[in-house]
This record gives sequence, C-alpha cells and structure tokens, in this order.
Amino acid sequence: MEKVRILGIDLGSREVKIVFFENGRIVRKNKISTMRFYRDYCIKDNGLIIDKEKLDIGEFDVGISTGYGRNNINIKDFTPINEVKAHIYGALFQTGLNDFILLDLGGQDVKVVRVEKGVMTDIELNDKCAASCGRYLENMANILEVDLDYMTRFYKEPVHLNSTCAVFSESELIGKIAEGVPIENLCAGVNYSLYKRLSPMLTRFKSNRIVLSGGASLNSALIEYLKNDYNEVIILEDAQFNGAIGCCYYGERMGLK
Amino acid sequence: MKRIGITTTVPQEVLIAAGYKVIDLNNIFVTSNNYMEYIDIAEKDGFPKSMCAWIKGLYGVCIKEGIDEVVGVVEGDCSNTRALVEVLKLKGIKIYPFAYPNSHKLEDVKKSLDDFMDMFNVKKSDVEDVRNRLNKVREFLIEVDNLTVDGYATGFENHLYLVSSSDFNGDYLEFENMLKEKIKKIKDRNKKDYPIRLAYIGVPPMMGDIYDFVESIGAKIVYNEVQREFSFPRFKNNKDIYEQYYDYTYPYDIEFRLQEIKRQIKEREIDGVIHYTQAFCYRGIEDIIVKSKLDVPVINIEGDKLNELDARTKLRLEAFVDMLKDRRGWRR
Repeated sequence: MEKVRILGIDLGSREVKIVFFENGRIVRKNKISTMRFYRDYCIKDNGLIIDKEKLDIGEFDVGISTGYGRNNINIKDFTPINEVKAHIYGALFQTGLNDFILLDLGGQDVKVVRVEKGVMTDIELNDKCAASCGRYLENMANILEVDLDYMTRFYKEPVHLNSTCAVFSESELIGKIAEGVPIENLCAGVNYSLYKRLSPMLTRFKSNRIVLSGGASLNSALIEYLKNDYNEVIILEDAQFNGAIGCCYYGERMGLK
Repeated sequence: MKRIGITTTVPQEVLIAAGYKVIDLNNIFVTSNNYMEYIDIAEKDGFPKSMCAWIKGLYGVCIKEGIDEVVGVVEGDCSNTRALVEVLKLKGIKIYPFAYPNSHKLEDVKKSLDDFMDMFNVKKSDVEDVRNRLNKVREFLIEVDNLTVDGYATGFENHLYLVSSSDFNGDYLEFENMLKEKIKKIKDRNKKDYPIRLAYIGVPPMMGDIYDFVESIGAKIVYNEVQREFSFPRFKNNKDIYEQYYDYTYPYDIEFRLQEIKRQIKEREIDGVIHYTQAFCYRGIEDIIVKSKLDVPVINIEGDKLNELDARTKLRLEAFVDMLKDRRGWRR
C-alpha cells in the first residue's frame, strides 16, 4: 500500500505545534516557540517557506496548516484550514466521539463549539479581550512568582477576584497578597476567576459531555470546576497538539496526496 | 366577497365552497414591511414579551386589518393559538374552530371535517368540486418543487410559492396564472447546482433571507418541509377531502412527520438539515427527537422577532455548511 505522509502545523500564538501522520497514525510530534519558528525555521520568499532541513521533519506528501494568524500567513505548499475546524477534527480523531462540547483554551483565544454527528452546529468565540485565556494565567502566575503548573493545581476556597479586566485583576491580586491571603487561596482565586469568565460563554452549551483541548486540559482546577457543570469531562491525551492532529486528520480523510 | 382569516393551513376547500376569500394571517404578517407594528399592537394589548412572535403577529394583523371572522385551529396546533382565538373572541371577532384530531384516525378526521362543513353550511360534493379545482393548482406547485430539486428554482422561490398555498394568496385563479408565468421563467434559466443540499424543516422562518444566504455559501435548500405540506403534494393518493387532511403531517405526531422527512432526505440526497424553531415554541423540545431520529447532521436555528439572519446565526450556518462540504469530499 502506498504510504501517505501528512504534516500538520498549528501556528499558535505561543507555540507552533507540528504533527506527522503516516497512514492515519501519529508517528512524530514537535513543539517550537512561535518566535523561534518564524525566526529560525522559515525563509521569506514571496510568502513563507518552511526550512525543512533545519526543522528536521523529513519528507512529506501533504501539508496542512492552521492556527492563529492563519489568514495572514500562508505557508508555501501547505493547505490552510480554519482553526476551529482543525480543533474539531483533532477531537474527533482523539476521542472517536461524534457528539460533544469542545472547549479549547488558547494563549489568546477561547473557542466553545458544539459538535453533533461529527459536525459543528454552534460556536462561541471570545473577542476583544484575553482575560479568559492562557495568557491571563501566565501573567497571574508571574505575579504570584509560582509556576503555571503549580498555580493551576489549586481550586478549593478561592479568594474572590471580581474584576472583569485582566489588567485590573492583577492589581486586585496584589491587594490580596498584601492582605496576607495564603498562596493556595490566591492560586485558586486566579483559577476560579478564569472559570467565572468562561461560564457565560458556556451557558449556551449545556450538555452532558465536554472535551477539553489546549491549555484547558492542563488546568486541573478548571477541570474540577467544570465537573460540576458536565457529567463527563474528557481531557484529550494530546491536547496541545490537537489542532495539528486535526490538520492531519483532515488531510487523511480528504485523501490528499 | 367575505373575507376570513386563518391561523394556519385549514381545509380551505370548505371556506371557498362557502364563498369566502381566505386570508392566511401569517403571510400578511411576515411579508409586511411594518411587521413589528403588528407585534407591537399585541404587546400593547397585553401579550407577554416571552411569547411566540407569530402569535402576536397574527393578533396584530386581525386588529389592524379589521378581520372580523377567523378560523382558529384548536387541536393539532399549539395551545398559544387556543388562547389567541379566545382573545380574538373577546375582541368581538367571530371564531370558527377547527381540529386536527390528536388520535390521527381517519374516522375522527372525517368527523372534524363534517362538523366544519356543517358550520359553513356547505355540501361535501361542493367541497370536492373545489378540491378537484385546487388540485390543478397544486400540480403546478409540485412542478415548482421538482424544479427546485433539479436546480432551476431557488430555495426561496420554493419556500414562497409553497408557503403561499395555505390560502393561494386569497385568489387561486390569479395564483395559478402567476405560477404558470413563473414556471415558464424558471425553466428558461440555466440549471445551477450547489455542492451541498439542505433540508429546511419546521415552521416557516421569520427570516426569509436564510435561503439566499445559504446559497451564497454554496448550499441550497432543496426541501421545505412544512411549506411543502401546505401544498398537499400527495393529493393524488387521496380519494377525498377526508384522506387529504388525514395525509397531512404537520399537525399530527412527530413520528408521522419524520416518516415523510426521512423519505425526502433520501430521495433528495440531503447532506444536512436546518431545523427551524420559533423562540418560546413547544416545537423546540421536539428538536431532541428530530436529532435523535435523523441520520444526517441537523442544525437548530431559533428565530424570534427579527426578520433577517443575525451575524451569529450566519457564522453557525457557514461553519455547518463548511463541514458538510468536507464530508462530501471525504475519501477515506
């Protein structure tokens, strides 16, 4: 049987994720910071060309790209697909399910999607503000001088942070630090404030089952909060690579060569 | 000629035999440039904010247009209609009730129609004469429907002509002539195929731009479920008026409706279904059944007062159609 090698690239705002598919299976994956990707691995020549040698990705038959800034950057020899679709296809591939709510928390955006019979039937995207995204968590972890991984563990007894704005939340958090609130409650407060900002987006998406992708899947506090709203919270095994996997899945199903 | 308003499709053959000009209040409401004014009249008279826009529109039309006789469907349609006709009665409008029996038994449909004929003092034979004449017009509607599937008539034309058959715009002769002309023009066009074929099921939409919008994104509505039911496309299988109104899906149970929907999805090679429901309508609950019983993807669109698609609904439809196109292209 002819071997079809598909390369999926998800150009995220923080990291570029690369997945290599061979005959419908993931054989390799790789992550590079977005800055380094554009600086070190791309050649500008009437558009963007990926320096395959430097990237050490080997030969491939089909390239599919998606992600933040997809509309601005067309990589030569790659078929661009819509990022929401890429994430849905990634989740279809990884879960084998056809009906679910998908929550994808990116560095600078949030998507909530309803998938029924394998097709998107409803969608909500954040706009204007990054206060409900990964970047918000990073900023808050910096202020608390803890690792992001550490911060996202705490969910019990959150200190209340009421600001709707990410910048105001920082000063509110500093105020709580000054009051002597224990670090666990501060961390939980940050996580809970993220959940509270996501909640209005999720009200239209009541369901029994939610699939988490992107940064949402790494946030154990958020997962705990969501367990109160959904009977089944599914965490994608390769959540960070979901968009890139979706690209490969698309190329595979379309039978691109 | 005496005018009589109807709140949904009723056996208009009886009304025509009784010498009435039939007016479907829905059509006046939704095609008016000032449709919001009708809703406003109803709200000022006390209709709740959280209430189906159609019901309020029908009320507004009756009051503003001075309709003084109305046939109200008290069984087979919603309980809001029941309350509507009670309020209309309070306002001095003469109400004639008609029921599509819940039992959906031919003998009960017969009884209901006999009562209806008695109410208007018309003979069955006269009604059958009218029915036979109207069926000639229905033939043209079948032609429009076929032309839609074949790629000549647009989704909107299909919607417009079929939905109008609830009252034939108040004059079936004029309607027939208009249809003949339109069909000629439609046939003269070049055929246009779309990558995606959609079904539209549920009550007719508040927003008529849905048809052109989906065509602008590469999909076409080739089946309008309820509008088609209004046109009684299976009349040739029905030997009399009783059978005709028995073999009508919309006012009866959802299972019966779904049998016909499934048949059409298969015959018309439908890729996906738009299930339209009206805000505050009980049919929104039926979406659960629709989605679980149909094999093709279904998107539920809910309309309220607005008579054009909002940006969010457009985005949802775009995403839906986009993924249906992918599915068409799947090779593995």
